[in-house]
Order: sequence, then C-alpha cells, then structure tokens
Amino acid sequence: MIDAKRLSILTESAKYDVSCSSSGSARANKKGGVGNASIGGICHSFTPDGRCISLLKILLSNKCVYNCLYCPNRAEADVERASATPDEICELVMSFYKRNYIEGLFLSSAVEKSPDYTMERLVETIIRLRKVYNFNGYIHLKGIPSADRALISRAARYADRMSFNVEFPSENSLKLLAPQKSKEGLLIPMKQLAAEKQAFSAEEKAKKISKFLPAGQTTQMIVGASPESDGRILRLSEAMYRKFSLKRVYYSSYVPVVHHSLLPDKCTGLLREHRLYQADWLMRFYGFSAGEIAGEGENLPEEYDPKCAWALKNMHLFPVEINSAPLEMLLRVPGIGTLGAYKIIKARKFTSLNFDNLAKMRIVLKRAKHFITCGGKFFGCENISSVRTLLALESKEEKYEQLSLFSTPETSLSALTGQL
Amino acid sequence: MNIYITDGSEDAFYSAAFYACTDADCVVTSAKHIQLTLDARIIPTDADPEKCARVKNKLAQYDRGSLGDISLILRRGCDTREMTALNYLRRIVQSKGPVRDRLSDPAVIEAMDEREKVTLEAHRFKGFLRFMESEGGIFYAPFAPDNDILELILPHFLRRLPTQAFVIHDTLRHKAALWNGKDCAIAATDENVSVCFSPEEENFQKLWREYYRSVNIAQRPHEKQMKGYMPVRYWKFMPEKNPNLR
Repeated sequence: MIDAKRLSILTESAKYDVSCSSSGSARANKKGGVGNASIGGICHSFTPDGRCISLLKILLSNKCVYNCLYCPNRAEADVERASATPDEICELVMSFYKRNYIEGLFLSSAVEKSPDYTMERLVETIIRLRKVYNFNGYIHLKGIPSADRALISRAARYADRMSFNVEFPSENSLKLLAPQKSKEGLLIPMKQLAAEKQAFSAEEKAKKISKFLPAGQTTQMIVGASPESDGRILRLSEAMYRKFSLKRVYYSSYVPVVHHSLLPDKCTGLLREHRLYQADWLMRFYGFSAGEIAGEGENLPEEYDPKCAWALKNMHLFPVEINSAPLEMLLRVPGIGTLGAYKIIKARKFTSLNFDNLAKMRIVLKRAKHFITCGGKFFGCENISSVRTLLALESKEEKYEQLSLFSTPETSLSALTGQL
Repeated sequence: MNIYITDGSEDAFYSAAFYACTDADCVVTSAKHIQLTLDARIIPTDADPEKCARVKNKLAQYDRGSLGDISLILRRGCDTREMTALNYLRRIVQSKGPVRDRLSDPAVIEAMDEREKVTLEAHRFKGFLRFMESEGGIFYAPFAPDNDILELILPHFLRRLPTQAFVIHDTLRHKAALWNGKDCAIAATDENVSVCFSPEEENFQKLWREYYRSVNIAQRPHEKQMKGYMPVRYWKFMPEKNPNLR
C-alpha cells in the first residue's frame, strides 16, 4: 500500500489540473464488480479552496523529462520525486471507493522516459483496475501528447473520459513555454479520438458492445501566462467544441509557481477566469457565438458580465416582453439564467406574469428589469448610460465580495455553474 | 378549526386528506408538539386503507406523478410538511390535472421547493456518506440527514456496491438499512450502535485525510464556498472534517 508521503507528493503535483467532474457516463455495475458511474456526477467532498473532490486525482509519477517553464515538476526543478506502481494506485482507488470517499480515478503522469513509455504505464494501470480489480466506477485518464495512436485508442476503451491539455491558446506560446510539446502532438490525438468515438457509437448502437469514452473529452488551458486576448481564447474554445465535440474547456488562471523571465510574476486574477467561464457558458447553453461575445483582439470587460456587455451593445433589441418573448431571447436577458427562462416559459402558459410573480418565482430582477417588460410595464432605467453605470456598480459590489470569497449562495453558484 | 393528527406515515396523511381536502381552514400535522387555538378540535387520524386508496386513485387519475411528489414532500424534516402536501393536493383536485408547471402559484412554488430540498439532500448524501470497515468486514455508515432520505439513497448504494455487506444508519430517526450481499432490510435501531473497526480502517482514514490536505490549493482560500456546498452539520461523520471520528 502507498504511504502517506508519496501520496502527498503525487497529489500535490496533480492538483493544478482543474477538471474534477465525474459526469457524462452511465457505466453500469457488472456482475461481481465494484462500482458504477452516475450520469450527473457526484461530489464527495469540498476542500477549503472551494473546489469539489469527486475523483482521486493523482500522478503515476512526477519524474519528468520535459522542461515546460511554468510547471512545478519540470525536469530542472528541485522538487521531491516519487512514483507509484499500478497495483498501488488500484488498491488505493478500491479502498477509497468502498468507503465512498471518491467517485473514481483521475489518473495522470509526468512524462517519464518517453511519451510512449508513460502512456503505456497509464493504460496498463486502468486496464488492471477494470479487469483485475473489477472496477466499474468513473475513470478520467490524462492523455500524454505525442503518444502512440494505438495506445490512445486502447485507453479510450477503458476510460470514461480522456483529456489532452492544449496548455496555451496559441502555437507560439506553446513553443515558447513548453518547448518539447507540439501543437500536432496535442491536436492529432484529440481529432483521432473524436473520429473514433463517432465511428464507434454507430457500431455500439447496433451491437451493444463495450464502451468507447462515454463521457467524451475535455481540455484545459492556462490563462494569463501568455499574451492572447479573451476573444482569441473564446474562438479557440468554440472551434474545439465544434471540431472535437469536447464536453468542457477548463480555464486555469495562471499562478506563478516558477520564476522565469518569459513568465509574468503576478497571479492572473480570478476575475478573468470567472469571466471566461461565463462566456464559455454563454456559448454552450445560451446560444451565443464567440464573435458576439468579444472581438478577436478584445478582452472581456471587467465591469460587468459578458451577457450584460452584449445586451448594452444591442439595446435596440430590448426591452423584451416576458409574456411573449421566445426562449432564445429570454436567455439573452441579463440576469435571467437557463433555469429562470424555462420557469418563465412554463409558468406563462397558465397565467400572464407580472413583476410580482417573477419575484415570487425568484427571478432576480436587479439586472433584468432594465431589459424586460411585464404586461407592457417597464420598471427599468430609460437612459442607456445610467443602465451601464448601474450594472457596473452592482457588479463591482459583487466583484469585491468575489475577491474576498463568493459570499452569497447565488454568486458562488454562479461562479461554479456560470449561470448569469 | 379541525386539527388532524397523523403518525407521519403516507397512508395516514392520505386518510386525513380524505376529509381535510375540503375542510377549508383545518390543519394536518404529525408534529409532536402543536399549538392549540381556542376553537381547536383534535381529530387523531389513523391510516384507513379504503379512504387512502380512494384519495390516491383520484390523484393518480388527475396526475400520476403527483403521488411521487407528495411522497417526497412528506419526507421533509419540518413540521409543516403535511400542510405543504395538502395544499398541493388541493390544487390538483381543484384543477383536475397536473399543476407542477404552474410556477407562479404560491402553493406549487412551496411544494416544488420542499420537494427539491429532499431530493437535493438525497443527492448530496450519495457523495457525503462515509463507510467504515468493521472487524467482520461489514461497512458501517452513520449519517444524520435533515430529511428522511434513507430509502431514497439506498437503491444507489445497492446498485453501486452489490458485493459489499453494509449498514447505513440514520442516527436521528433510529433506523438502519442492512445489506448482506443477498437480502436487504430496514430495521429500527438505538441511537448509538457500538462497532469494532478493522485494523486497517484507521490507516485508510489517515491516507484520506492526507489526500484531502494535499489536493487543496492553499493560495486560493475559499472557505465560504466550501461550507456552502458542504454544510458544517454534515461534517460529523466525515473523516476529513472530523479528526476525532470513531
């Protein structure tokens, strides 16, 4: 069994991977096996940084031959090194899972010796976990860039989700800051998996054979370590959602763990990360395109959320009438989230809604009131520049709270779900 | 004013609802302590299979899903649960059909909110429940939820850990679900059950605490958010939050 010391080293090195979701897979319990996956995902604990623990996030090894400038485990760094055997990882997963500490395993590794060697060890571990330990819970496997095609394809038959981190929003930054990684080494496997999954799902339906990456792929990029604008980042995300059918893109605001002349010395604010997630949600659930949210070279405004920014630029479309506006338009009203919009659509079938009804339905009107009418009545501000000021003021209050910890349940939920 | 007192069971509630549905300002409750007004008339109501069946049939006729809604609402851990369920039932009877989409109606808002509180807590405990391995190899999980959710989370763990003998113990309601790998039963218990733990149990709890400590990013403290998602009242049985567990 792994000892506390190595567990701590291998976890410390894995914790900067943002992804912790365990959703998207409904893997069933096989007879005689342990575990299953829950389609909506389950959080098992929360750490004092406010993040959830769903999976056992761990590296197989933090001995790395690569020298990515920003990474605490890069070859030149003077840190304690450790590795675990496949059996040690499997035993730990099983004993944590039986106690209901975790939903499954998030396995990653530093590049030890070569990409193929590392990927082989990762694949060996998860196959062992599935076949020898009969584990049917959730497995998220990190892909090693430039690893062999066949290995990646094999991994996808055992994992629920895989992710290759694109690391930076542009090829230039990747070259500069992670010299041993290449754009092709990252994008080709993502493309390969997307194509194979599509081919597989047609077959899967016909024959009901085993699964191929049921929870799809995700990726992660570091924001603020390189000069790309938010507009550029969002365009990249949009393209990846479209081309590789990614489930999520994670943004991780840069934390300087390493000092280097090519890297900024300061932390990128959490606010920028928050705004990017808000914009990401607008693209995935609210029918916005990257082009509508920010121009190519533009950054997202700090003063208010990206939906407010869009609405202020498009005041000619407002106000909309709550009792007749189509769903797509309700979703574009600042302050009304997906949940709120669906509630309104349902409720207005039975009775015409007024502001009082909306308040009772807990639709937050602070922002929305400037953009809606209820039964023809308007309670917002007519003058666009005062609307701008009011929204910015309100968001400022929120921002200060945010920096000092999301205070109200609504804002903290919004930080997590991106609901606006 | 009539006060129908039930034993808290679903059947007794439906039997009381048989009269209470049209009894305009009555109260239905299973609370142990109630405040009486001067004109109060107490009507103890036991489960009556015939009346219960008649109410349920009628409801199913109007809206099949409403029986599930009411069953969930009656699992709420607050004294007003019967009234919330009754007001919801009245709305269905009045409109002779489903009302759950009438989201601007206060009775419906309240019913859906209370239902949500129960299902949310059941979802949370699929994650927050913690098993401890006993000497005999049976896994014991105590918990003290706000609502009566033992039966709601049980199927999840039966599907997930079918080969593992376990006991899930609601220490507040003094009942436990027992699973031995073949049969499942729910039994009444004492508040405290003494269990001897296996020699490895302490070691795994130690490893888990170490993991919990290591995976946190200390430069980004956000305790308020943690507590929002994982309320302090649930910490008692979680090894990572309670160093003195056992």
